[in-house]
Amino acid sequence: MELLVSILALGSTYALLAAGIVIIYKASRVINFAHGELAIVGAYVFHSAGFLTGTTLTALSLFTAIVVAATASALFGVVIYFALMRRLLGRPTFVAAMVTIGLAIILKAAIVVIWNSRSVGIPIGRQALYNFAGGGRISWIDVISVLTCAAAFAALAIFFQLTRLGRQFRGAAENPLLAAQRQVNINLILAIAWSVAVFSAALAGVLFGSRSMLSPQSTIIGLSGLTAALVGGLDSLRGAAIGGLLVAAATYLTARLISPTLAETVPFLILLIVMSWRPWGLFGTVEEINRV
Amino acid sequence: MLPEPYQRAVIAIVVAVVLCLPVFSGDYFLHLMNLSLIAVIGAIGINLLTGYCGQLSLGQASFMAIGAFSTAILAQRYGMPFFVAIPASCCAGAAVGFLVGLPALRFRGIYLAITTLAMHYAIIYVLTNYQAIVGPSASAGITVPPPSIEGFKLTSERGWYYALLIAAAAVLMFSLNLARSYIGRAWVAIRDRDIAAETAGVNVPRYKLLAFTISAALAALAGSLGAYFTTVVTVEEYTLELAIIYLAMIIVGGMGSVVGSVFGAVFITLLPFAVQRAFDALPWHFGTGIFGVQEAAIGAAIIGFLLLEPDGLIEIYRRIATYFERWPFRYREIKPSGAR
Amino acid sequence: MSEAASAAPLLNVRQLEVVYHDVATAIQGVSIEVAPGSIVAMIGSNGAGKTTTLRAVSGFLPAEDVAVTDGEILFAGQSLRGLLPHQISRRGVVLVPEREKLFHTLTVRENLDFSVTSRRYAIRNSVFDYFPRLAERQKQVAGYLSGGEKQMLAIGMALVCEPKLLLIDELSLGLAPIVTNEIMEILRTINQSLGLTMLIVEQNVAAALRIASFGYVLENGRVVFKGEADRLLSHQDMREFYLGDGRTGSYRNIRQYTRKRRWWG
Repeated sequence: MELLVSILALGSTYALLAAGIVIIYKASRVINFAHGELAIVGAYVFHSAGFLTGTTLTALSLFTAIVVAATASALFGVVIYFALMRRLLGRPTFVAAMVTIGLAIILKAAIVVIWNSRSVGIPIGRQALYNFAGGGRISWIDVISVLTCAAAFAALAIFFQLTRLGRQFRGAAENPLLAAQRQVNINLILAIAWSVAVFSAALAGVLFGSRSMLSPQSTIIGLSGLTAALVGGLDSLRGAAIGGLLVAAATYLTARLISPTLAETVPFLILLIVMSWRPWGLFGTVEEINRV
Repeated sequence: MLPEPYQRAVIAIVVAVVLCLPVFSGDYFLHLMNLSLIAVIGAIGINLLTGYCGQLSLGQASFMAIGAFSTAILAQRYGMPFFVAIPASCCAGAAVGFLVGLPALRFRGIYLAITTLAMHYAIIYVLTNYQAIVGPSASAGITVPPPSIEGFKLTSERGWYYALLIAAAAVLMFSLNLARSYIGRAWVAIRDRDIAAETAGVNVPRYKLLAFTISAALAALAGSLGAYFTTVVTVEEYTLELAIIYLAMIIVGGMGSVVGSVFGAVFITLLPFAVQRAFDALPWHFGTGIFGVQEAAIGAAIIGFLLLEPDGLIEIYRRIATYFERWPFRYREIKPSGAR
Repeated sequence: MSEAASAAPLLNVRQLEVVYHDVATAIQGVSIEVAPGSIVAMIGSNGAGKTTTLRAVSGFLPAEDVAVTDGEILFAGQSLRGLLPHQISRRGVVLVPEREKLFHTLTVRENLDFSVTSRRYAIRNSVFDYFPRLAERQKQVAGYLSGGEKQMLAIGMALVCEPKLLLIDELSLGLAPIVTNEIMEILRTINQSLGLTMLIVEQNVAAALRIASFGYVLENGRVVFKGEADRLLSHQDMREFYLGDGRTGSYRNIRQYTRKRRWWG
């Protein structure tokens, strides 16, 4: 039972990361390789904002941290779009992917320079909610993680399927020039996409930092998020949720049952398997993946 | 090959400078140059695969690791001389490149990159376990004796400089000819529109595999030379970041240009040192943060070049050369395009 | 040779010059006038510059490293040069492109709803009146429609944007003649009932000139001929070069033909 809760909690973090990657891919066909870095930097910002005034996390400082991290991440997403991604419209998408790799490098270096690579944790919700007989426990943060993730996914699903802006998103993803001709402001759509994506990344990062220690190496969760997105299908939110749970389950079970070091390679093994068998993921649109 | 007299003059000057460099510089600078020369070989390798043939590959570091480890095993455990170990490492790299290329035939673009990423991790996982078993301690790595013939050991920076110069020049000539040949044209055709290439009669799978094989062989060569040069081989140096650094080299230098790879390799290799020098000159103290700034510099170089000069340094060079070539006219004639 | 109606033209393109990649001049000195409420056709063979003109008017060229280097594009008296595609579209100039004209992963209904606002529901519904076949297939994913239905949907999407000027690029490409005629007739109906001005680019000269009131003939980036549609239809050179009404006969006539052709082109 405790295993299940842990998988759910980890899975919801991965699912949130995957959702951010899916949003950007849905809007612009670009794979964001900087997502893990964005998440961890967001968590560091949250931490710094919360501990700005003291060494303990009061209700006020928590509130400050939430507000600061939320606005900073949303704004940063817009900045990334207008400063970098906008100039790459019309160029092949792998160019944009390379730019996100460059961004990832800079963000990771920023953690080293600004925060001196300190390992920090975010101490919220650590209290136990329920203790098991065998020694395991469910903490508040596990529940918060799952609920937050569920709420986020519900909001996104409603947005994409039912609202006009969501429809325009999907059209703009497929054919930006046509969407522009049909009076859709592409800049607005893409800026919103990046803003929401970076916000969700920061959210995932904070949830992650509440359960594990943060360090520059933590950015590796970006790879798990990417794997989850690929497994589920790069343009499917439903797939992101399922993919996140699958990757979390595989990683956790491998760590527990086989060996912890092998567990690090689990995302890549899953990548290999998915790429060979069903590259567009479980729920993705079957696109021209181009077989020779 | 070099129709204009000014081009011959430029080449002559460059060759003269390059050959006489050790006379004017100290060991530190020569060391940097040696690192750059090794990087040049690797950069040309990845440029042939990604720049000419258009196969976006993140496996460069793993191929270099294969070359380094093969050399380490052959030289240290079996005592093979370098003129056996190095070609054997290249063959090992070629074999692995071929195997990686097989599943990669099915994909294009970002999915191809992800497939090569997965294979990179598979290879590194295997090598990590090997190093743990074989090395004196888990991460001390394998030591490699310096290359020697008849008791003459290659250890000085100056000696290495000339040896690496010969190697890099050979790779350069080989690659320039390759790019100009049918193979090179087939690669460019595959890069630009592989379905059209196939209908034009190009055997696309064969040439894609050839690209992977040759690129991996060159990467293995770079890894092998690096192993001899640094005398220690650890699997930890062959990270995904290294593969991205090589991609940065060809982005900065110019994708699809062998000469551009040279520019890019030198630029990216020297960049961290230049950053360090620049920051040393500043009044305040950075401490370990400097590594972050060096990393950030590479990321900034990638972004900067992709946004502002996507065709790389070679394009800047071409613009300057064209300006002088065609002055006082504004446009140059449109040459029938090959691999740029 | 008189121009179209005496009222001020809705679209006035003057001496347009378009250059591809700093190197190749695609259009030189093209001047087109489209009178309000009329259908004007641009015809010519491949590579003549017709599509490029339309794309210049609708603002798509900078996305492909193509520049408008000279000339004016005036719509209702205001210049369109330098505006972004969605701004041009909001002014009422809507383009139905030649390729990639709809969203293949969305359904028919979603495609039409793409630009719909509360004000536009009426016109969205009227699209189903003009194109009954679309009404039958509302829930179908657009990628699976037949060629003719896709073209109808593309025109329908453009109509929902409340255009004042509709630009249609080569609608007959890949369509059977009977389908082309059907769509052309529907376009004529729309023009008459809504008074919607249209500029159509066509390689199927006969079909285009049947519904158009005025035509321009482009060749190698220049306007080589213009006139009212029935004049064009009956003009001897037009019939020879574009309408396939050539003479049968002897070698002497064919030599005359090739000599004329060389002079012409």
